[in-house]
Amino acid sequence: MEWVIGESNERYTAKLSSSEESLILTSLTLDGVEQSHSEVSFRRDSQPGRILVEINGQAKFALVAKVGDNWWIHIDGRIHIVHGHEPGSVDKGPGEGGMTAPMPGVILDVMVKEGQRVREGQTLLVMEAMKMEHRILAPKPGEVISVNFTKGERVDMGATLVELGE
Amino acid sequence: MNLSEVAIMTPDWIESAPKAFDSVLVANRGEIAVRVLKAAREAGIRGVAVYSDPDAGSLHVETADEAIHLPGDTLSETYLNAEEIIRAAISTGAKAIHPGFGFLSERSEFAKAVIDAGIIWIGPPPPAIETMGDKISARRRMIESGVPVIPGEEIAMSGGMDHLGVLAASAARVGYPLLLKASAGGGGKGMRSVHEPKMLRTEYEAAAREATAAFGDGTVYVERLLTGARHIEIQVLADSYGNCIHLNERDCSLQRRHQKVIEEAPSPAVTPSIRAAMGEAAVQAAKAVNYEGAGTVEFLLSNNGQFFFLEMNTRIQVEHPVTEMITGVDIVQKQFEVAAGMPIGISQSDVGITGHSMEARIYAEDPSKGFLPAIGPLAMWRAPEGPGIRVDTGVREGDDVTVDFDPMLAKLIVHAPNRTAAARRLDNALANLRALGVVTNIGFLRQMSQHPDFLSGNITTDYLDSKDISEFSEPDTDPSILIGIAAAASRFGIDRMSMNIGSENIIDEHTGHSGDPFRTLSRSFP
Repeated sequence: MEWVIGESNERYTAKLSSSEESLILTSLTLDGVEQSHSEVSFRRDSQPGRILVEINGQAKFALVAKVGDNWWIHIDGRIHIVHGHEPGSVDKGPGEGGMTAPMPGVILDVMVKEGQRVREGQTLLVMEAMKMEHRILAPKPGEVISVNFTKGERVDMGATLVELGE
Repeated sequence: MNLSEVAIMTPDWIESAPKAFDSVLVANRGEIAVRVLKAAREAGIRGVAVYSDPDAGSLHVETADEAIHLPGDTLSETYLNAEEIIRAAISTGAKAIHPGFGFLSERSEFAKAVIDAGIIWIGPPPPAIETMGDKISARRRMIESGVPVIPGEEIAMSGGMDHLGVLAASAARVGYPLLLKASAGGGGKGMRSVHEPKMLRTEYEAAAREATAAFGDGTVYVERLLTGARHIEIQVLADSYGNCIHLNERDCSLQRRHQKVIEEAPSPAVTPSIRAAMGEAAVQAAKAVNYEGAGTVEFLLSNNGQFFFLEMNTRIQVEHPVTEMITGVDIVQKQFEVAAGMPIGISQSDVGITGHSMEARIYAEDPSKGFLPAIGPLAMWRAPEGPGIRVDTGVREGDDVTVDFDPMLAKLIVHAPNRTAAARRLDNALANLRALGVVTNIGFLRQMSQHPDFLSGNITTDYLDSKDISEFSEPDTDPSILIGIAAAASRFGIDRMSMNIGSENIIDEHTGHSGDPFRTLSRSFP
């Protein structure tokens, strides 16, 4: 399994070895390169969703929950998301040009036309979701290849709203 | 869910009241419905909930003694359906209706209809709602009764009118920077600031659209935007005998696009003399409309100690708990008492301030993406506990956070001996709020509650909007710990042990479709 923390594009792998009731981190790679890492071991806890983590000799609890491919982790008062990827799978990263609806909602306004050149940060569409307005901005400069919705249309989450080319 | 066969007798405290009631229907949902239904339970009053389809299994339904289904897909068919709600009260024998906040709470026609149906309205008299709900009449009344107001005017937008022309003329009279507000707006919806004339069109169109979407009213109010001011509001309580007192102030200056983020009481900027003056003005405002029950008079407090009436919210407020913490007054219970025709029972001199309280609003939203609302399954929801910690929520572990409603999940309220201790307690309680499965603003709130600007107490309403939000991003955690935990959790098979929450939201690995919000949220929104 390859792991990605939050929004980053860096892919980690980890090796764990069993020792008595614990798992010990023995190797961590980042984009294929071996990393130095903390001495950390993990023990399953009687409470569901809880892991006892020992970091450089100091023990603390982590609470975890899995939703889809994401591990949600609460440790040290902070919440993190670690995505699990099958090794070698392709990440549909941003900047490929497809601007998708971040939420289901209604298109309030379309500010661009096909063939129009836009600058980075320019408002492409305005949509309403959860009673609030959200502007869909161009992540990069480029030419509008297609606008897939018109004013007043409902969109599902993940629907490609606008496609941008170079 | 139907527990009504359990006989509930009229409890002692209300038995001899002129308008005693033994049951209440709560015309709301989410945390405020839960708050009121719990208060009813505690008071020995039977609680009736109403719910729409997406809320069928929600906490407020579970909290009620009885729940009535409101059929339909839209808000106007359900939580805004006055007729159906009154019918539900009649069919369940509910003697009173509590509207909560939002929805029908500030609609005087609804209050009137409730009263006409012979049901007790837990709120102010309809004329008070009407006067305060209309910003022009509210201003006029405030000016008459000597309460200071901000320069501004209202425009009733009607069809066929040159909206922009009328608006531009009004804006020129009021002066820039200004605030556009939908008259029937609230909660930051339909409210836009305009700093220069050339932005007027864009912002007006946005405000009008939001207002129509949220409240069905396109009227716009133009008001001078006071920069560097604080949002201070005074909680008032009034009864049908002409008694009216205030429960001190709340400071709601920490706002983002007019949505309150952290509220506190008392305000670090309000001196005893300002408090006395604002309290007196608030009582005057309430008396000017013959107010009854609990209400909030909002003011802007400028840095020279001058204050201006903003509006009066003729209902219970989201942030009412901070006032309850410092005064020890249960505001919902007082609403019940006043509605039953009882006197407030406390005098102004009984109202003190004990310690300091703060409330953080926990939203399902992503601060790193412009606070975009987030959805998903609440795979884990464990609220913090301890002295001086209170969590008012409408959700529980296993619930789905959907797009159907406002993304506020809960309110985390703390109470401590002083402001510094309260901020520490807030930060620590936030650290122990374990909400997994939905992106929330918890980390942002922690950064905020530790921030020197917040700790200094010198926050004005424009503070957050003038800041680069990345200043509040959370510190990085050692990746070997996080990756190790994920890898270990997989090896331990924790995903297979825990409840199969959100299984229908799991994205299909191959089609990339359905549910998992993070795939789309994290990768496609610039």
